[in-house]
Amino acid sequence: MPERLRRGIEVAETGLLVVFLTAMLGVAVYQIVARNAFGAGVVWGEEFVQMAVLWLTMVGGAVASGADSHIRIDIVSRFGGPELRAVAARATALFTACVCAALGWFSIEFIKWDFIDGTPGVGAVPAWVCETIIPAAAAVMALRYLRHAVWPRSREAS
Amino acid sequence: MIWAGLALVVLMALLGAPLFAVVLAAAMLGFMAVGVDLAAVAINLYDLTDKQLLAALPFFTFAGYLMAEAKSSERLMALIRALFGWMPAGLAIVGFIACALFTALTGASGVTIVALGALLLPMLTSSGYKERYSLGLVTTSGSLGVLIVPSVPLILYGVVAQQMDLGEPFTIQQLFMGGLGPALLMVVLLSGWTIWRHGDVPRTRFDAGEVWRAVKAARWEIPLPFVVLGGIYSGYFVISEAAAMTAVYVLIAEVALYREVSLRALPGVIRESMVMVGSILLILGVALAFTNFLVDAQVPQALFEFMQEHVSSPLTFLLLLNILLLLLGAILDIFAAIVIMVPLLLPVAVGYGIHPVHLGIIFLANLQIGYFTPPIGMNLFIASYRFDRPVLELYAACLPFMGVLLLALLVITYWPGLSLWFL
Repeated sequence: MPERLRRGIEVAETGLLVVFLTAMLGVAVYQIVARNAFGAGVVWGEEFVQMAVLWLTMVGGAVASGADSHIRIDIVSRFGGPELRAVAARATALFTACVCAALGWFSIEFIKWDFIDGTPGVGAVPAWVCETIIPAAAAVMALRYLRHAVWPRSREAS
Repeated sequence: MIWAGLALVVLMALLGAPLFAVVLAAAMLGFMAVGVDLAAVAINLYDLTDKQLLAALPFFTFAGYLMAEAKSSERLMALIRALFGWMPAGLAIVGFIACALFTALTGASGVTIVALGALLLPMLTSSGYKERYSLGLVTTSGSLGVLIVPSVPLILYGVVAQQMDLGEPFTIQQLFMGGLGPALLMVVLLSGWTIWRHGDVPRTRFDAGEVWRAVKAARWEIPLPFVVLGGIYSGYFVISEAAAMTAVYVLIAEVALYREVSLRALPGVIRESMVMVGSILLILGVALAFTNFLVDAQVPQALFEFMQEHVSSPLTFLLLLNILLLLLGAILDIFAAIVIMVPLLLPVAVGYGIHPVHLGIIFLANLQIGYFTPPIGMNLFIASYRFDRPVLELYAACLPFMGVLLLALLVITYWPGLSLWFL
């Protein structure tokens, strides 16, 4: 991946995480205040907070893919010999890249259905827009694991 | 074809593929086998937006990471030491309590080893505790917080259990209450054992001046338990709102009042904490898909019928459950174990008449011990890295603690009243 694109994705990821977490906090606190002061919060408040969980999950998962720091059973990487480890790292990265690509591909199908049905999402924003983070993050994860398959990182205890 | 795929997935899991990919692949294979469109996995992932309780996780985790970034661990230690340090084996007891509370708040016992262990280990050895005992204490004690409100594993169990239709409803507040007795039992047993073995360690005097100084230093953090518990139990807020209040409170305390975390450092803290949240919830999201497949294929029911045929008494079932969970806890991360195993085991347990809250406590108590079970309990490696000791030395250091906690586990398992006294 060209260095500038990689850097751009990293900045975008941190930016999304900061924006969504802060917005979630802001909306949740506003809801509490508004409920007590005016008797009711905004209608889309809860929808937004719950949607933000999905975005944080997908973006956080994509970031974890960059460092290959996802939760795993690490018997081989702890006790396997260096050759086994090297093969395992490439094979599992390739496997993960394929699975992420499949997730991205099939989630587009899901987005199409919701686009056609006009499923409501958060307030005036339709569901299909909110769902785009699934294929986007899946694509980033697939590319990153493809990279790990070609140039494996050594996995050390964090 | 499906079986070959399944064999590949199992092989990849053992070779160390990320668990979210493993579960995702298993769910896709399952859907393929029963002829469901694979878009179903994305639909199930999207179901993450359907669970109000989940929003509590990013909030609590962010608050915990902020506290780990600030000097909260030092103030917590100083305060608990001033309060309890004068008792026999006082410093060790201080260690148990401080580590337990810190893990309950940060959600990760690894963070506790890094943040508190480095403070605690030299204190313990210089006050006369044996090196091996001290290492064992700092490696194992962080896991004590798993059962204490508002720990992330407790919330996660609540989310997974509540989305299943069991006919035995419970609230997350009840689950939080259920963990307190067992957690207290563990601390009491560990303290008793320490007093028996290390009661001759020189004691310090109670010093009111020191208490006052510690209270003053921690003045902005002392209200925190009241914010958390008040938010949860007042009935005024839903849990996610209580979590949001906690996060905002901690943010103001550490950034504006203590000024130990600068505004410029915040994006880094957010990024780090959300990577942890993302990697947990991603597994949860794909596990929702996998669970749906299991339920469609009536796997839990088949499992229950099989168990009923071979195991008649609930006590035997619980014993088998403990063995299974201890083994699992030793190889699976606690979060992954919850989202993958609870949907399979909970219906079976309820069939044996075990209350979901009790099962949750048993589940977490087992996985808690798994944190430092050889050969690959995660805390062993974190401690080995942090304190620069060989892992084998840590295996030996943790074994006696494991023995005491296994005893506690037996009591917790066979005395439901300890977890369900308020029902």
